[in-house]
Amino acid sequence: MVKRLSELPDVEARHLSRLDCPTYDDTPALAGKLLAERRVAIISTAGLHKRGDRPFRPGDGSYRVIPAETPANELVMSHISVNFDRTGFQQDLNVVFPIDRLRELVADGTVGSMASVHYSFMGAFPPAAAEPHAQHLAGLLKADKVDAALLVPV
Amino acid sequence: MGALGHFLERQGIPTTGISLVREHTEVVRPPRALWVTFELGRPLGIPDDAPFQRRVTRAALDLLARTDGPLIADYPEHIDEPADFSGWACPINLAPSQVDTLEAEIDRLATWHDRAVAARGRTTVGVSGLDMPAAGKLVTQALNDSLPPAQTLKEAIDDLRAYYLEAASAFPDAGTSATRKKWFWDETKLAASLLALQPRLAASDDPQHKILGNLTLIPASERYRL
Repeated sequence: MVKRLSELPDVEARHLSRLDCPTYDDTPALAGKLLAERRVAIISTAGLHKRGDRPFRPGDGSYRVIPAETPANELVMSHISVNFDRTGFQQDLNVVFPIDRLRELVADGTVGSMASVHYSFMGAFPPAAAEPHAQHLAGLLKADKVDAALLVPV
Repeated sequence: MGALGHFLERQGIPTTGISLVREHTEVVRPPRALWVTFELGRPLGIPDDAPFQRRVTRAALDLLARTDGPLIADYPEHIDEPADFSGWACPINLAPSQVDTLEAEIDRLATWHDRAVAARGRTTVGVSGLDMPAAGKLVTQALNDSLPPAQTLKEAIDDLRAYYLEAASAFPDAGTSATRKKWFWDETKLAASLLALQPRLAASDDPQHKILGNLTLIPASERYRL
């Protein structure tokens, strides 16, 4: 049940262990307000976007914009990888993109507020391709007064 | 995923995140990560279980209070996945046969897909902009004639896969997501077409066709079928 790579089926473990992970100098974890005072944005790497937006392509380090009011039926996934389950997403958007859960945590006062816009990258990006987009995104988040990002992989 | 934690936090946005592969997170060392043991593709754990998903979301957000990063917290709840393949059969005969075609298979699934959409109120089909018969024709063309551009083909195939698995979820005895994926690869004409298409793509001179054939067409867990 506890999934270390050593406990996964061989073929999946080999695939995952081959993925090159970048290394970075440690980034200090910033201090901030209480959760009940924070404005939170979801940043997914599931390759989500609105139907009709540009699908993701191999090597694509850019992001797509997901306004908070986007109906679940408008969101599709164009992640290039075929090595993860998509039936959960097909059944329930929130198992990948927990926007309704975040909305509930705002409603009950646990979280201060929710960003007006959320974002998705496509996780198979080369980090160097995503970095300039992420730096630009930080400015957009600040303009929306976001002071916490919830990063959700797939 | 962890790289984004570095990029955003360095720009002044505090981050917290979910980690699905602890070994990767241990290398990338983002400021804060909640490690979960859920299946890849399900970072919040269980579809349609709002209380469970809320607990995971809350646990990840609670890490924002900590400044002793890079840190990895282990999420305490795990999911026992039932893997019962016995006794499950597709209610209509979709098995490939000599007289069958991919187009006919796609057509036979339409009513089940309609039921799935009605039940869920949504579909995740719609990346390619093609309707499913047209997506099927593209696969047939790729098999028997010229290879379409890789991106066009990939989007059509991903839409078809979503269409098949969503349709199967509306079968009277829908089984589990694991049995439906097994059905897809064991029994459908589409899966057989994808397996037949793989060598053509891998042998193409176009590097994008090669990427599709070698990496993004057949899941690692199914490549033994090639």
